[in-house]
Amino acid sequence: MQNWPSQIGYFMLNLTIVGLYGMLLSGIVARTLAKVQGRIGIPLYQPFLDLAKNLGKRTAVSHGVMFYLGPVFRLAGGIGTLAFVPVLYGSEIFGNFSMAGDLLLAMYFMFFGQLGMALGAGESGHPFSAIGIARGLGQMTAYEVPFALAIIAIVVQYDTLSITEIVAAQQGGIGNWTVFTNPLAVIAAMIAFLGMTAYPPFDVVMAPNEIPIGPPTEYHSSYLAMMTMNQAVFAGAKLILFMALFFGGATNLVELVIKTWAIYMVAVVVGAAFPRFRVDQSIRFFLRYPTLIGIAAIAYTQAVLLP
Amino acid sequence: MVEALSNPLNLVVVALGVGFLLPLIDRSSPALARSLFNLALVYQAALPILWLFWLANGAPTQEIQTAGISPPFSINLRFGMEEAFFVAGVNLAALLGGWYLTDLLRGRAAAMSVFLILTMGVDGMIMTRDLFNLFIFIEITAIATFGLLSLERNAAALTAGFKYIIATSLASSFLLLGVMLLYYLTGTLNIDDMQAQLVLVHGPLGLVAMTLLVAGMIVELKPYPANGWGLDVYENAPPGVAAMVSVGVSAGALFALYKILPLVLPFLSALAAVAGVTFLASNFIGLKQKKVRRLLGYSSIGQMSLAAAALVLLTQLDRGAAIPLVVGGLFLNHLFAKAGLFWLAGALKQSDTQDWRGLRANPRLLALFGVLLAALVGLPPFPGFWAKWELVMQLSAGGLNLWVAVILLGSLLEAVYLFRWFGQAMQASKHEPTLSGRAHQLPVMVAVLGLFAAGHFAAASFGVDALRVLAPLYIGIALMLLHSVPARVQGLVSLVIVGTYSYQVLPAQDGINALFGAMLLGGGLLMLVAGLYRGDQRLGHYPLMTMLLLSFGGLLQAGTSLEFFVAWEFLTISSYLLLCRGRDAAPHTLSYLIFSLASAFLVLAGFGLAYAETGSIALAALERVEGNAALVLSLLGLGFLVKAGAFGLHVWLPGAYAEADDDFSAMLAAVFGKAAVFGLFIAIMSLGVKGGGTDIVMYVLGWIGLLTAFFGALMAVFQEDLKKTLAYSSMGQVGYMVTALATGTHLGWVAAGYLSVNHLLFKGLLFLVAAGIVLRVGQREMYRMGGLISNMPVSFFGMMIGIIALSGVPPLTGFGGKWLMLNALLEKGWYWQAGFAFFASALAFLYLFRMIHTVFLGQRKLAHKDLREAPLALIVPQLVLVAVILAFSVQPTWLVNPVAAIMADYLPQTLEVHGSLIKSGLGYWDGFMVINVVGAVFMVSLLILLLLSRFMRVQRVKQFNIVFAAERPERPETTHYAYDFYSFYERALGFLVLPRATAFWNGVSEWSHSLGSGLRVFYTGNGQTYALYILLYVALLYFAVGDSV
Repeated sequence: MQNWPSQIGYFMLNLTIVGLYGMLLSGIVARTLAKVQGRIGIPLYQPFLDLAKNLGKRTAVSHGVMFYLGPVFRLAGGIGTLAFVPVLYGSEIFGNFSMAGDLLLAMYFMFFGQLGMALGAGESGHPFSAIGIARGLGQMTAYEVPFALAIIAIVVQYDTLSITEIVAAQQGGIGNWTVFTNPLAVIAAMIAFLGMTAYPPFDVVMAPNEIPIGPPTEYHSSYLAMMTMNQAVFAGAKLILFMALFFGGATNLVELVIKTWAIYMVAVVVGAAFPRFRVDQSIRFFLRYPTLIGIAAIAYTQAVLLP
Repeated sequence: MVEALSNPLNLVVVALGVGFLLPLIDRSSPALARSLFNLALVYQAALPILWLFWLANGAPTQEIQTAGISPPFSINLRFGMEEAFFVAGVNLAALLGGWYLTDLLRGRAAAMSVFLILTMGVDGMIMTRDLFNLFIFIEITAIATFGLLSLERNAAALTAGFKYIIATSLASSFLLLGVMLLYYLTGTLNIDDMQAQLVLVHGPLGLVAMTLLVAGMIVELKPYPANGWGLDVYENAPPGVAAMVSVGVSAGALFALYKILPLVLPFLSALAAVAGVTFLASNFIGLKQKKVRRLLGYSSIGQMSLAAAALVLLTQLDRGAAIPLVVGGLFLNHLFAKAGLFWLAGALKQSDTQDWRGLRANPRLLALFGVLLAALVGLPPFPGFWAKWELVMQLSAGGLNLWVAVILLGSLLEAVYLFRWFGQAMQASKHEPTLSGRAHQLPVMVAVLGLFAAGHFAAASFGVDALRVLAPLYIGIALMLLHSVPARVQGLVSLVIVGTYSYQVLPAQDGINALFGAMLLGGGLLMLVAGLYRGDQRLGHYPLMTMLLLSFGGLLQAGTSLEFFVAWEFLTISSYLLLCRGRDAAPHTLSYLIFSLASAFLVLAGFGLAYAETGSIALAALERVEGNAALVLSLLGLGFLVKAGAFGLHVWLPGAYAEADDDFSAMLAAVFGKAAVFGLFIAIMSLGVKGGGTDIVMYVLGWIGLLTAFFGALMAVFQEDLKKTLAYSSMGQVGYMVTALATGTHLGWVAAGYLSVNHLLFKGLLFLVAAGIVLRVGQREMYRMGGLISNMPVSFFGMMIGIIALSGVPPLTGFGGKWLMLNALLEKGWYWQAGFAFFASALAFLYLFRMIHTVFLGQRKLAHKDLREAPLALIVPQLVLVAVILAFSVQPTWLVNPVAAIMADYLPQTLEVHGSLIKSGLGYWDGFMVINVVGAVFMVSLLILLLLSRFMRVQRVKQFNIVFAAERPERPETTHYAYDFYSFYERALGFLVLPRATAFWNGVSEWSHSLGSGLRVFYTGNGQTYALYILLYVALLYFAVGDSV
């Protein structure tokens, strides 16, 4: 940490790249889904237009200090998560602030923005917000279980909590990727990933036609713009984390784009094909087979990979 | 003159003389008779007490011979230390009893003389060394008792008296027959002489002789089930007389048993079994009893059989040296406590325990009552406590572990019914129990003083620095004297005392004691400050808080397991009484006390086993336990787990934490709970890393901790009550500490220490916020609140910091705890446990969000429009806690480094710290950098929004300015979105938290009560049946022992 200014400069660069890519990705997804449903869909740049529109609003309503700070927490959560994850392997420029902490830090910091925004949305006093948050938190506790088990399995496998070292251990050929060395762990993690992205069948949180968009119901104009920004950055950070842990990481931006897009497509494809679970169903779902797979992954790691 | 007056034989002579003179004098001057009676009682009591001093100062044991011939040809009496002690006790009880009976005896000279003769009879039973003479004194006692029973002229008392006569006649007949046969075999009646000729007692005739002798003695001790007659006496006799029977006559019988034990050595096991069965059975049956005096009867029989069992077992183990302490202690304890309770029962004239409700309107009586019960249950500082301790130590050392279990179980049962009664007395009622004259209360007070004095003396005779060890209690009592000064002044006095004490004690602590000393005393002081927010006169609050906090100091300063145990019991007493202060705490106090006592007894059993192996009660000696290490660790661990509210043993916890006074809830959950963790630390540090069997115990402990964490969190999710949520949350958080401790690694212990500190900080904070909310809103159901952020912004801030620190989200302190713990679990190889811990910690988000959201965010209730912020006395401690949390968040090494250094004294250091970077074997964490990065990105995000806000008009809208889907439901709370907030989670996982543990413990309680009522079938109330029982009992005894002779 001798070189604060350049470190910060590099991070700003990363942030910009990941942010733009994240926005683009949401356009790609929307368009893909439209194709699946036989529609033409939005242009790829539509998310940027939406963002610009929201940023350009001249009025806003505030329900109080926490409401005001909600989007701030949310965006800080997204940027912070990205800050603690190295974007490219072996690159000082794309290393971010991952020297501040290991995988556990990244995992726990993901909650920061969600919790902060939950508080802000709560102050709006709108029941749909609260209901959406309750659902979101409930579903989150459940999908974190297979995710945590998968993480533990690979920590056991690589004997480290450092994301960089986990990526390092997967270098030297496609056969070294976790997805091939420890497939059970990756299956568990990918199912958890479906929950994290909140596409169907796990979309009760936003549930557009039931509790119109849930938590952010009362947010609009610049608040909503900040959330859109966060969505891009946070999704990017999560994808990079998954790529690093399970798919060999990336050494250059092209590899990064291809891999993260592919990972994201899993959720999109599943989402296009399934209807919605009720919350209690999705909680039970995650605690059944995905959890068993996670447990099996640890057992497999211990029994087969370690000796 | 002095010599003549001081002859112990006068005990017999004066009683007989005055006894016969009384009816004569009464004819001319009743007043003179009365005075003479009193004088005789005083003399009877004073003489043995004086002798106690003389004997203690070197006077020789008095051998009193009669008829001018030396034994064995004449009757001789002995008056040594033991006899003097028992006689003094009995006669003191007689003096107080005579005082108590003033009204009943008025104008009844005959009754007075019978009373004197009864005392004399018991004295004789104690002093005589001649078997036939013993029989005479027993007969005198029995007849005198019968005479006194008839003082109460009602059918029940008379039939009870008649049954009593049947039973005692049978007993003395056996005794007489036994004495005859022994005389036939040995040619002597003198006990010492007979002992010398014991070889002659053999064969079938010898067995019959011994059986009869033993039978006579046993019946006197009222063995189960042949003791219905005794119970009827206790129930129906005038309480003053019942006290005398319970205390005096039983003492005589006990001492007589002590004398004849050397003659009947083959019967020791049978005697012990009889006493043990009686002890357990009486206490089981006591559970079902609702009549005060009969309850006391069961307790009396139980206590005397405990003393008898102790006597026999210690004789059997050849540990005569412990008999004075144990049997003497139990006797003295029973003497004062039981007599006092009988007297109190008489003074209150309420035959049913339920009718004692409302006694709390009279705090003085309630205090007396409480002291007597505490003494009976064997709490410090009373003599019974020291006696039980020594008994358990000796029995453990002798390998009689089953007996330890029996004694502790029986004591626990006794505590259940006695303190249920106390709980009833604590309840509010419109009708206060009627109270008879003041003369009835004074003897009770003397008995209570006697208990304290005897307790102090017993402590001193243990070689304990009684003043220091008992100081918390004494200071608490002294503070009680300030009860009329304003509450806040009392609070300040307490603060000064505890502050000064902490200032003296804390710097001298090192290692783990320093860590927990800072937590317990520092946290305690903070909670004491918070208590100042209430200006009302909470009688006993500050004295008890002071006692509690000073007892924490006692735990820290304890060098021996005995001192530790005393402090532990003081904590139990003071916290129980503080809990009783809670407005709706009544239903939860009993379970709190029972589980606390069970915890204490498990710990005691553990210490006993450790003593058995090492022969030392020093805490440091725990480390030397090898063979029993796993068992000792299990017992100690289980004991502390009960107190920590571990899964399955937690049923007492939510009620206690939630229903205590609001500031005391904070104390209980944040600070007091750490005492249990401290205990676990001591146990595990001494015993947990020895390998072998302890590894299994530690593994199980690890899972118990996790299950506790998981179920605590899950149950917290489903609570509507703010304080219950926090209570279950506390349960869960302690679970992590247990698991971290159970890893038995340096990193795990660092995690446990870190988690403890952090939990103290955030849980104290959250409970104090809750106290403010409850104070302002007057309710605890969360869905009845909402939107309080605008009324109580500081409280909101406090709660927000608290929940972030709890949740483990970086950058606040919680993350450090999670990081250390998960690292410890992963390094230990406990992978599934780590996953489970992760799940449990994620669950915390649910209840945390619910709490802060439902209370502070969302829609505000109209009625809460004008609520103010919590009072300053609550806010200041909150801000202190927030400041500490933030400080440790900014630089976690300030906390991690000292904790790691402390743990490094016990296990090799595994954490590497470079500046602010902390490295474990697996990962790394730079807390300083994390908070800087987070702070920076937060500031950047904030700046973006502020900047955007420059260009737009932000309008602050009113509360209801939202899209609102309203309806008018029948039960409003069911449609409130915050009511049953996680109903879907309950559908998904609710089946896991059906109250199974509660059902289990209810079952245990139900079954115990049923067993108690089953054991009662023998009590038909029919005198003939009772006589038959006695005969059958003796026959059974004969056949049972006959085989082994």
